[in-house]
Amino acid sequence: MKAASLRIVVVNTVIPVENEQESHVQAQLARSRALRIGLLQAGYNIIAVLPGDLYMTERIAQLQPDMIIIDAESDARDVLEHMVLATRDAPRPIVLFTEDSDQSNMAAAMEAGVSAYVVAGLQTERIKPVLDVAMARFNADQKLRSELSDTKAKLAERKTIERAKGLLMERHQLSENDAYQRLRKQAMEKNLKLADLAQRVLDVADLLGA
Amino acid sequence: MSIQTPKNKSEDFTTVEAHLDSTQTNLQRRHFLQGAAVVAGAGVVGLRSGGVWAAGSDKPEKEEVRIGFIPLTDCASIVMASVLGFDKKYGIKIIPTKESSWASVRDKLVNGELDAAHVLYGLIYGVQMGVSGNKKDMAVLMTLNNNGQAITLSKKLADKGAVDGAGLAKLMQMEKREYTFAHTLPTGTHAMWLNYWMAAHGINPLKEAKVITVPPPQMVANMRVGNMDGYCVGEPWNHRAIADGIGITAATTQDIWKDHPEKVLGTSAEFVQKYPNTARAMTAAILEASRWIDASLTNKNKMAETIADKAYVNTSVDVINQRIMGRYQNGMGKTWDDPNYMKFFNDGAVNFPYLSDGMWFMTQHKRWGLLKADPDYLAVAKAVNRIDVYKDAAAMAKVAVPKDAMRSSKLMDGSVWDGKNPAAYAASFKIKA
Repeated sequence: MKAASLRIVVVNTVIPVENEQESHVQAQLARSRALRIGLLQAGYNIIAVLPGDLYMTERIAQLQPDMIIIDAESDARDVLEHMVLATRDAPRPIVLFTEDSDQSNMAAAMEAGVSAYVVAGLQTERIKPVLDVAMARFNADQKLRSELSDTKAKLAERKTIERAKGLLMERHQLSENDAYQRLRKQAMEKNLKLADLAQRVLDVADLLGA
Repeated sequence: MSIQTPKNKSEDFTTVEAHLDSTQTNLQRRHFLQGAAVVAGAGVVGLRSGGVWAAGSDKPEKEEVRIGFIPLTDCASIVMASVLGFDKKYGIKIIPTKESSWASVRDKLVNGELDAAHVLYGLIYGVQMGVSGNKKDMAVLMTLNNNGQAITLSKKLADKGAVDGAGLAKLMQMEKREYTFAHTLPTGTHAMWLNYWMAAHGINPLKEAKVITVPPPQMVANMRVGNMDGYCVGEPWNHRAIADGIGITAATTQDIWKDHPEKVLGTSAEFVQKYPNTARAMTAAILEASRWIDASLTNKNKMAETIADKAYVNTSVDVINQRIMGRYQNGMGKTWDDPNYMKFFNDGAVNFPYLSDGMWFMTQHKRWGLLKADPDYLAVAKAVNRIDVYKDAAAMAKVAVPKDAMRSSKLMDGSVWDGKNPAAYAASFKIKA
């Protein structure tokens, strides 16, 4: 994905008026400004800058960005959590920016699947490599994750089938092969996946008291 | 209902500086606690200097621990452990670290920026099971509090008769529109209380309402501008809605489940493995602080004075100190003394990390579709809730430990939860995902 074609949404923290003058708030606002300028200078396509309010998730859903960038210390992160859960099956990278220039923290965050981005004076030339790494990392993670969940699902299915088979063998004194054939035949007749049928067999057995 | 202030402050109170480390990066933490009235640590509460651990094998491996907290009344035991010096007694220094979001608390626990945290019970299990993003083996060292959260409905709704769950269900039937309710994190405790309460009144939170996530300190402001009809959050933000005249208390969480588990002292399994003595010392120090808070009304007042400070919860003392004493009002003219107010200790009954408590959150995660399949409830709870560490810490702090790792409770809808048959329990609810 080229930098320019990456559709980015930046989320700004909503600051209550009464706290606007506090130094850490000022620092957060300055960081956020510098980040946006840096992104634009690096040729990124910021499709929206959203306030981190209650409507943020709906607007992100409409915009469908490739990447969301938010201040690590923003309280709007919990609002985003909702979206993370809702789109579990089709996640997108969320890049956190922070002024924490401790490299070890950054490495740890990357390890944890969070793409942290260090804003140390925020030089424009640093943005691109960080976002590239974040994106690459996210894509690699996604691949691993989907492989893992496929494997897990297959394993769980196999276990279910084995259990249903065992149940039939025990109840009806069938050989392993006969039990399996019976399950398969039923699944075909009912137009169900073998694992789904096996689950039904187990559910019924549960209900009737195994 | 004003609180008694001593006539001569200087005799009763000493100003304590919270020893915040100025090298920390979070600017919010660079704030010294000034003028907050607290008893000066050691001598007064009878601590022996020199600590209770023998130098050598029991010595904490890591002496400085950063414990994250979110500005809520129930962060009190962590703050007081540091302010009153209970940490020193066990050879550690607790650095309370104010965080701005639960997501940030979670990430920092996972990547080790925080050693431990005041954290939502369900959040720990969400990370353990990989419900949202990061999956990591976590640990619950102790329960920090029972009770003391509530469900607030907007004044507008209350004026139309929605002053409790039944009234809300009726109004939602009569006046059809999109109703919006907020909690604090999809896997957290407030999401579970809100869902449970709505479902108990026949409202399906997944289908008949719009449920969103909002950071606790922003609840009141959002309700004020009409962004939402109701929310479930910890104190002081429910009392604050009443004080500001914008909301009413429709239910307390102790009405949903008397003495329910709420926040825990959470960390990662890796931390406990690497620093077992530190984990134990942390737990013991916070146990002492929990006992101190629950020991008297005077202590509770001092706690309220301390945590109201800008460095911690950042609100007025009055908003905190009513409900920690059990003095409740609903915002519609009704007042009552609630015996089941927020408990921090209750002779140690609060703090024991019951396996059944941890399992309950997983049953609800399953109920609402956050978990796609039944986990091995008991095995996961045994791995996460570190009863071994807790027992050692309780022995050091001389706190009684319950015999049984399960407890039985009857919830508001009459269902009994005792930790037996969790999968059947999760499936037993009429309204579920």
